[in-house]
Amino acid sequence: MSACAGATTDSLVSSEHAAAASAANRFGLGARPGDLSQIHDAVAWLWAQTQRAPAGSDAFDGLPGSLDYLQREAELTRRRRTLRRDAVDAPTTAGTGGNAATAEGKPDNPLARLYVMTFGDDLRREAVARWQVAVSTETPFSERLVRFWSNHFAVSVDKGPTRLYAAPMEREAIRPHVNGRFVDLLLAVETHPAMLRYLDQAQSVGPDSRLARRVDARTDDRAAAGAGGRPARKLGLNENLGREIMELHTLGVDGGYTQADVTEFSRALTGWSLPAPIQLERGIDVGSAFVFRPGAHEPGTRTVLGRRYSDDGMQQARAILADLALHPATAKHLATQLARHFVADNPPPALIERMARAYRDSGGELTALYSALIHSPQAWAADARKFRTPQDFVVAGLRAGVIAIGAGPQPWEGLLQRLGQPTFMPRSPSGYTDVAGDWIAPDALWKRVQIAQAMAERVSREDLDPPALARAVLGPALHPDTLAAMAHAEAPQQAVTILFASPDFQWRV
Amino acid sequence: MSSRRDFLRGVGASAASAATLTLWPGTSSATTGADTRLVVLMLRGGLDGLHAVPPWGDPAYVRLRGPMALTPGTPATEGGSPALKLDGTFALHPSLAFAEQLYTAGEFLPLVATAPPYWGRSHFDAQDCVENGTAVPHGARTGWLNRAVAALPGMDGVAIATVMPLMMRGPATVASWSPPLPTQIDPILLQRLEPLYGDDPRLAGAFAQAITSQSQNAAMPTAMSSGSGAGAGAGRLPALMQAAGTFMARNDGPRIGFVEDYGWDTHANEAAILSRKLQELDEGFAAFHAAAATVWPRTVLIVVTEFGRTAAINGTRGTDHGTGAAMFLAGGAVRGGRVGGQWPGMATGELYQQRDIHATTDIRAVFKGALAAHLGLDEGVLATRVFPDSGALAPAQGLVRGRAMSRQTYDQSPSVRANASVSD
Repeated sequence: MSACAGATTDSLVSSEHAAAASAANRFGLGARPGDLSQIHDAVAWLWAQTQRAPAGSDAFDGLPGSLDYLQREAELTRRRRTLRRDAVDAPTTAGTGGNAATAEGKPDNPLARLYVMTFGDDLRREAVARWQVAVSTETPFSERLVRFWSNHFAVSVDKGPTRLYAAPMEREAIRPHVNGRFVDLLLAVETHPAMLRYLDQAQSVGPDSRLARRVDARTDDRAAAGAGGRPARKLGLNENLGREIMELHTLGVDGGYTQADVTEFSRALTGWSLPAPIQLERGIDVGSAFVFRPGAHEPGTRTVLGRRYSDDGMQQARAILADLALHPATAKHLATQLARHFVADNPPPALIERMARAYRDSGGELTALYSALIHSPQAWAADARKFRTPQDFVVAGLRAGVIAIGAGPQPWEGLLQRLGQPTFMPRSPSGYTDVAGDWIAPDALWKRVQIAQAMAERVSREDLDPPALARAVLGPALHPDTLAAMAHAEAPQQAVTILFASPDFQWRV
Repeated sequence: MSSRRDFLRGVGASAASAATLTLWPGTSSATTGADTRLVVLMLRGGLDGLHAVPPWGDPAYVRLRGPMALTPGTPATEGGSPALKLDGTFALHPSLAFAEQLYTAGEFLPLVATAPPYWGRSHFDAQDCVENGTAVPHGARTGWLNRAVAALPGMDGVAIATVMPLMMRGPATVASWSPPLPTQIDPILLQRLEPLYGDDPRLAGAFAQAITSQSQNAAMPTAMSSGSGAGAGAGRLPALMQAAGTFMARNDGPRIGFVEDYGWDTHANEAAILSRKLQELDEGFAAFHAAAATVWPRTVLIVVTEFGRTAAINGTRGTDHGTGAAMFLAGGAVRGGRVGGQWPGMATGELYQQRDIHATTDIRAVFKGALAAHLGLDEGVLATRVFPDSGALAPAQGLVRGRAMSRQTYDQSPSVRANASVSD
């Protein structure tokens, strides 16, 4: 696809096919058989999906909210305390005695069992619902956007206190705002228990707040009285959330902020927290999974990026967030991330500029950002392509093969584990990498072939026509050599394996 | 399932119930029929019968196979042990050591020059024909093994597969068992993928490196597992066969089973690939034998593939799609210890279209013979419902031992004894 001059009708038609395939595979989650023939105008098809909240949310019906999880978690903590006390009270039963603490790490210990009994079913349902939506959604561009923002605002469930809240954060904070204003999305995420816990905001206390002063006074009293015992925990500022909001969520690492800005912003954020466990344990209705604690808030006016923010309690950090959301550096950062996700590892600067400008001009509307993206010729250029991440690869395989998810997520989560991209576990607040070089490695490709086999094994063989399937899901991106290799496969299932394992299927073209 | 046995177990506590048991002669005779087992193992891709059951006594064999030829007494030019001699004409591939033991015990029956009625050389069509049980590909949308289950009241079947294979699809409800996800990669698949990755500049290097390091890794377990019996190999087939054996050994377990395996399409580097694949097959025999030890005397295991391969080797030390193939029957109920089928020879004038072994046995005749003699399926039902319009094709005779051996311990009726004397 070089110069378009002198394009014949045929090449126009085939480029329409190419656009449909790109819409389904690069902008969506992977074509299902029949999808490509439904996409007549790729841009219109994508645009329509940004005009309403992402569909498919009935898969999430009946799942508990974060507040419910917090309450049950507090109850679990209380029961664990009782169990632990009992274990200490009866040290002889264990033989060696007093090893309750070491036993806790083992999966068969009562405390771990209690956790699984309490939340195992919820974790399973959350995961299954998310897989269901991914493989069955009719608005796969919106769904990819949900996943994009989920990774942009990454939390990692290997941090224990975050474990229950990653999936709810996507449901409660990201999904409703994915086609709205960025500031609303930002605020919903930064006040969600998943983020408040993952980036340690819940413990951050202003050094001059009422709470800190009270604790300090108590410590001083004890010291003065010469009392022994446990020293009170020193309360203070934690900059983790403040820094990552600036570096990762809004301005970007080169966004022009200083350490002083981070510290000031973090001071403003003090008091943003979760309901106190003691309240939850007592069953007090706290009303919300987010709580502003005035007593922990650092008093005083703050200066961030040259602007002064008067002490307005919770509103102080909120006002800063609102300004960060509209900052030109944020516009550029978001545009870059999105263009990198949808177009190329090194997106064209002109595209980024166009998207950033659209975002600024709209006053922070995400749909303006998306619109600029899908209406830019660079987004449809011949060299626009992305390597499928492991999650993309597995989801695309399940969609192409119309493979049923089943009652448990284990088989699919197991595949992602093997490929190094387990759900909600990037182990870093910067999320999973979005460039091909990080995912292309000999062992990784080898595992993809294994997993292609595993997925092909689950494709129904009734009326299975592998070449037709390949054309239906890859469109013009299907290379004739791939088709030829499939034709030589020793059984239809092997032909599907070749399709899934082929280089064609590893790229979002 | 198993409600009758559960019921018996439930009342078994009282002395009176012991008498009840013996007062059920009808059940007892039904049980004898019900206690036989039939398993079909399908090797997809086209097993090279000439390499698995080398006809070393045929002078044309060594000429056509050259460095790949296997003979008893002398190691193959390409390396490896000498073939295991069966008789003056045939031998077994050295990887089939356990099968040779079964052969010696009279429980293993290789059949040569077999093929489905479809003689084209398409994998997909040939497999469809093997599975649907008619004379042509796509001649039925259901499978003959399922229709056999449906034709036998109270019969249960199981397919060791994640999605139901055609042979087991149909009117009867059949259980399926999903094996754990595969971790090995089919070498044939890699041969197909290598050129595709070679053409992708971004992925070529990493893929080539993966192949290199994996083949280095693969060399280890293969060397370690040689000759060490079931479960030692890295292949998946032994695990599938063990699963089938475990299910089918249960008193109330399925009596008809289906297992499948891939990776037999050896166009290139065949000797090395089949050395490993046949060892997996051999381990599969051993694994099933061990897991189903209690029902082994009443078992017929049929190993079938969609077609054989060219008589001569090609330019890439492999063979291409052919016609006449080899089948195996194994099990305590099999009248083995001999090579069955009619050998058409492989001299130039004897080959089909100057390239393939000319098939002399329709695999449906083997299936029909086994279903009739071993499961007691009526010939009329076989000729109409199980293998439609196959009345002109007589069931193969003498594949299965008289049912006496398995029946005697259960059923002393004179008619069965008479049967037994006829077939011996």
